[in-house]
Amino acid sequence: MTRPFIPWLLLAVALALAAVYLFPLYWMYVTSFKSGSEIFANPPTFWPRDIDASIYPDVWTRRTMHVFLWNSTLIAAGVTAITVIFGTGCAYVLARYRNVWVDIGLFSILMLQVLPASVMVTPLFVAFNQFGLLNYPRTAVVLAAAAKAMPFFVVLVRATFMTVPRELEEAALVDGNSRVGAFFSIVLPLARNGILVCAILTFMSSFGEYIYSKSIIQSPALQPASVGLSGFLGPNSTDWNSIMAYSAIYVTPILAVFVLLQRRIVSGLTSGALK
Amino acid sequence: MGRFFAGLRDGVGFDILLVTVAMIFLVAMAGLPLIYNVLMSFQQVDMFTLGSFIRPFAGIQNYIDVVRAPEFWLVTRNTVIFVFFSMAGQFVLGFALALFFAQNFPGASTIRGLFLVSWVMPGLVVGAIWSWILAGDFGVLNTILRNLGIIQSTVFWKSDPAFSIWAVVIANIWLGLAFNMLLLSVGLAAIPRDLYEAAELDGANAFQRFWTITLPMMRSTIGAVLSLGLIGTLQQFDLFPAITEGGPANTSTVAQYWSWQMSFQLYDFAKGATISVMMLVLVLFASIIYVRSTRHEVRG
Repeated sequence: MTRPFIPWLLLAVALALAAVYLFPLYWMYVTSFKSGSEIFANPPTFWPRDIDASIYPDVWTRRTMHVFLWNSTLIAAGVTAITVIFGTGCAYVLARYRNVWVDIGLFSILMLQVLPASVMVTPLFVAFNQFGLLNYPRTAVVLAAAAKAMPFFVVLVRATFMTVPRELEEAALVDGNSRVGAFFSIVLPLARNGILVCAILTFMSSFGEYIYSKSIIQSPALQPASVGLSGFLGPNSTDWNSIMAYSAIYVTPILAVFVLLQRRIVSGLTSGALK
Repeated sequence: MGRFFAGLRDGVGFDILLVTVAMIFLVAMAGLPLIYNVLMSFQQVDMFTLGSFIRPFAGIQNYIDVVRAPEFWLVTRNTVIFVFFSMAGQFVLGFALALFFAQNFPGASTIRGLFLVSWVMPGLVVGAIWSWILAGDFGVLNTILRNLGIIQSTVFWKSDPAFSIWAVVIANIWLGLAFNMLLLSVGLAAIPRDLYEAAELDGANAFQRFWTITLPMMRSTIGAVLSLGLIGTLQQFDLFPAITEGGPANTSTVAQYWSWQMSFQLYDFAKGATISVMMLVLVLFASIIYVRSTRHEVRG
């Protein structure tokens, strides 16, 4: 009764759907390889006539991308560090107990997860101004963005800790480990992969952080790559091959990490995102 | 004192310490600013009083000013359009794709995973790419639509007041689609196979199976996905500066972008705070639905 060609037909349709969906990415790369006149060809060419990569070094130096990308890396690393250090312990405790306090804690974390950054940025800016934190703008952005990233991290990592069998930790306690010892030598190593995936997700999302950096960091020497991109992007931009080359330099590392870790990221999300 | 430290090392104190550190941080960086935001919406905040905590009390004057602002109803309309159609598009297309990828064929989960690329990309880059695709004269979308015979003349997606909000909606649907699909796929995978087999034996066709099994079984997933969609669209900010900057003439400004413009372009922090408090009411409403629909999963 089975019709053997149907799975292959479905595969073909799936590939076609993926091609349509990923077309914007393809268009970014193709545009960045076109010459300045070819991008305005009418009708547009779907494959560049002569591949011209000279825009890449040009954009890199003209837009001082090494400064922007370094700042992005610093900010993302800071956010990830704070989120992992504070969030892991919190997620562990929330996974370990089942009582009304844990429910309240989870509820408030879910509530914090939903606050839009555009809502938080006004009070944070005014408060940072009053406490003088605006003199250390990157630190201020790291603190603000870490608070934004942590709830999501806690929810996902909590799901990972739920999969660590309680018996292993109890056995370690019976064998004379302290709680601290059992946490660091038993529970953490077992949950390491899940925590790592969530940390990478946190890093990737804060690598693209925009609104806090745009509002808080005034000096171009301290701004991340997202703000650098917004500097020459607007409704009237015409410099499209530079913009696309800048975007390509910016996202290619993220895309590479994603493709490498795709399976783990997807399974990490599916286990935790709805719980 | 010794017992206190022993408790930290080897008792409930350890748990309390771990939670407290995280909670103090979150309260300082999210809880207090939230309260401060509400406070500021009732104050007069200008350049002179920006640095002090004690500011003249303004009552509900800020709220009156915001509602009376000439662009208020336009922004409200845009926000409703943006939220409703982004959610509808993300959900319907996401559901269709989730149903498709639930079929059994080689590479289904790998190809489905590729869709998630949109989710990890910086919002501003997504905005930049779509801004180029949607460009009026040289944008590729116009060319494709013309070749398909859907439009005759060029559509100026970003500069035509009738289309500017739709430009952002299209980009946002693309951005949020994959995450919706992923969550719905999880829900689909949790439905027991034998329900479908039983229904098939009883003679139910594919359409009846969808209405009587898939939809009812997915009720809590759908609730969670829709409320996360509402929260997600209200959080969406990066696409606006990248594609339209709210223009032309505010025809694509939504509440979150308006609030930011008030604070950081007009330096009217009180009004920015007021708009965000109004938005917050909406967000809290969405999150109550979200928490309700995931509650049984939270309790485990």
